[in-house]
Amino acid sequence: MEIGPILRALTRNKLGVILISLQIAFTMTVMVNAVFIINERSKLMARPSGLDEPNMFYLRSTGFGDQFNSEITEQDDLELLRNVPGIVDATAINSIPISGGGSSDGLRLEDDPTLPSIPAAVYFTDERALNTMRLNLIAGENFSGSDVLHQRSSEGRNYPMAVVSLALAEALFPEEGQTAVGKIFYNDSNPVQIIGIVERLQAPWTNSFFVEQAMLVPLNFISSTSTYLIRTEPGQRDRLMVETEELLAGNNSNRIIRDLKSMDETREESYRLDSSMATILFVVILTLVFITSMGIVGLAVFGINRRRKQIGTRRALGATHAEILRYFMLENFFISGVGVTIGAVLTIAFSIALSSLFEMPTMGWYYTPAGMLILIGIGQLAVLGPSTKASRIEPAIATRSI
Amino acid sequence: MLNMKNIRKVFRTDLVETCALDDFSLTVDQGEFVTITGPSGCGKTTFLNIAGLLETHTSGLYLLDDVDVSQLGDYARAKLRNQKIGFIFQSFNLMPDLNLFDNIDVPLRYRGMKSAERKERIDKALDSVGLFARRKHVPAQLSGGQQQRVAIARALVGDPLFLLADEPTGNLDSNTAKGVMALLEEINDSGTTIIMVTHDQSLAQQSKRNIHILDGRISNASNETANKEATAA
Repeated sequence: MEIGPILRALTRNKLGVILISLQIAFTMTVMVNAVFIINERSKLMARPSGLDEPNMFYLRSTGFGDQFNSEITEQDDLELLRNVPGIVDATAINSIPISGGGSSDGLRLEDDPTLPSIPAAVYFTDERALNTMRLNLIAGENFSGSDVLHQRSSEGRNYPMAVVSLALAEALFPEEGQTAVGKIFYNDSNPVQIIGIVERLQAPWTNSFFVEQAMLVPLNFISSTSTYLIRTEPGQRDRLMVETEELLAGNNSNRIIRDLKSMDETREESYRLDSSMATILFVVILTLVFITSMGIVGLAVFGINRRRKQIGTRRALGATHAEILRYFMLENFFISGVGVTIGAVLTIAFSIALSSLFEMPTMGWYYTPAGMLILIGIGQLAVLGPSTKASRIEPAIATRSI
Repeated sequence: MLNMKNIRKVFRTDLVETCALDDFSLTVDQGEFVTITGPSGCGKTTFLNIAGLLETHTSGLYLLDDVDVSQLGDYARAKLRNQKIGFIFQSFNLMPDLNLFDNIDVPLRYRGMKSAERKERIDKALDSVGLFARRKHVPAQLSGGQQQRVAIARALVGDPLFLLADEPTGNLDSNTAKGVMALLEEINDSGTTIIMVTHDQSLAQQSKRNIHILDGRISNASNETANKEATAA
C-alpha cells in the first residue's frame, strides 16, 4: 500500500488538507456533543412517571356563584365518574405529576427548622389516588377514606401520614429505603408517618433535581376548583375524555369544565423544550455532516480533476481500477484521520467545558471513538463516488497533451 | 516480442467514424530501436496507445510476448503494462507531489515488490541516470532534461520487455535532447528494445529502423535498414 507516498504527497498540499481536517474536527466536536445531549434529553424524556399514562387524563372543574358548593360537587362528580363504564377509577388531586405546576414541602428528620430540609412534591388527594394512578405499592399500605382530611387551604397543610416514593424514602432514610415504613419525618413542626412506599412517583416539575421525590397525603383542600385525575380501561381514554367533559358539564351548570388533557399530551408539553432541542440538534448534526461530506467530496473531486493526467499515468504504469480506488480512499482516510484526531481532542475538551459550566453529566468514553469511526465512515462514503470515477480514468490520457 | 497483424482502430462518435489505424502490421524484435514518424493525426499516438495497452484495438491480432492481448481484461492489461512495458512521455508525466524516489517507486509498488528490492532497484535506476544525489527532490526542482531522465529511470526500473517513448525530446532544447537520445541509445545498446514516436526526422534517421505512418498505414517511406518486416496491406 502507498501509505508513505500518500502521506508525503499530502504534506506538500497542506492548506486543503488542513482546512478539510479542521472542518471534520469541528463537525465531530459538535456532532458528538450534540448526540450526547440528545441522548441525555431522550433519557430524561423516557423516565417513567410511575403513572399509567396512556390510559389517564384529567380535567378541572371551577365553580362560580353563591349556589356552588365545592365540597358536595366534588363528591358528586367523583361518585358519577367512578360509575361511568370504562373508567377504572378517579380521584381529586391538587396537581398532576409532570404537568409543571404543583406543591412542595421541605421535609426534615427532626423538628428543627435550622436543619437542612429535603424537598418533595406533595399531592393532596384521597385514598383512590393510588389505584387511579396505578402506582406500584412496594411496602406498607395505602391510607383509607377515613384518613382523608377535608380542610380549607387557609387552615394550613397538616397531614399526619404519607405514601412516599421510594426515591423520597431513600432521600429521607438512606439506610432504610424500602423499610422506612413507620418512620417519622417533619413537615415544619408536624410529624408525618410513612405508611406506604410506591416504587415510583414523579413530581410535577420534570427538570427539578428532586423530580423522583414525591408523596401522596390524605388531605383534600376545599376550593372552588377541583382537579380530577381519571384512569380508563385500555383503549377507552379518548372516547371517555369527550364523554366525561359533557357529563360533568351537564351535571352542574354552576361551573365550567376546563383543561381537559390526557397524560400523553401533558408529557409532550412538559418535554417540548427538550424535544425541540433534540430536534434542533439533530438538524444541526445532519447539516454539519452534509456540509462536511460535501467538503470532502469537493476536495476529492478537485484533487481528482487536478490529477487526471497523473491518474492516467498511474494506470499506464500498471495501476488497476482497484489500486486507483484504494489510493483515493486511503488519501481520504488519512485526511479524515487527522480531522477526527483533532476532533477527538476538541470533543473531550468541549464536553468537559459543558459538564462544568452547565452541570451536565460526564460524557461516556465511547462517544468519542464512536464519533471518530462514524465520521471516518462518512468520509469514506463521501469519497467513494469520486474515487470510483477516478478509477475509471483511461490510461490513454497519459499520452494526451492536455 | 511485439507482433501486430492487420490492426484496425476506429473511433466512433454519434456523427463521425474515424479510422486511426488501418490494416497495420508490424513486428518488433528484441533489442531493436524503432522510431515511428509521421505527420500530425497520422495515427502515431494511436499506435503507441495500442502497443502500450493503453487502448484496445478494434480488430486484428496483437501478440505481446506471445500473449494475445485482445483477449485480456482491464486487470490483466494493467498487469501486463506494469511488467512488460516502460513508458516515457513527452511531458515526463512525473507526479509533482512525490520526490524522485517515490516517482520511480510507482510502477514497482503496483508490481507488489518487497521494499528492500524496490529500494535497491530505484537507487540503481537513479544512479544510472545520474540523479541519485537528488532522490529526495521533487520534479519541480529539476530541469526538463533531468525530469526526463527521471522518467527514463522510472521506465527502466521494472526491467521491461521494451520501452515506449512518446516524443521523449519534444519538450527539451536541442542540447538536452541530444543527451536524452544518447541515454536512450545507451539503454538500447545494453539490450533493451525501444519504440519511439517522434516528429523529429533527424532523430528518426539516427535509428536503426524507422516506420513512417501516413493516414493510419505504414507508408513506403519507412526506412527498413534493419530489414524487419513491416508491411501494410
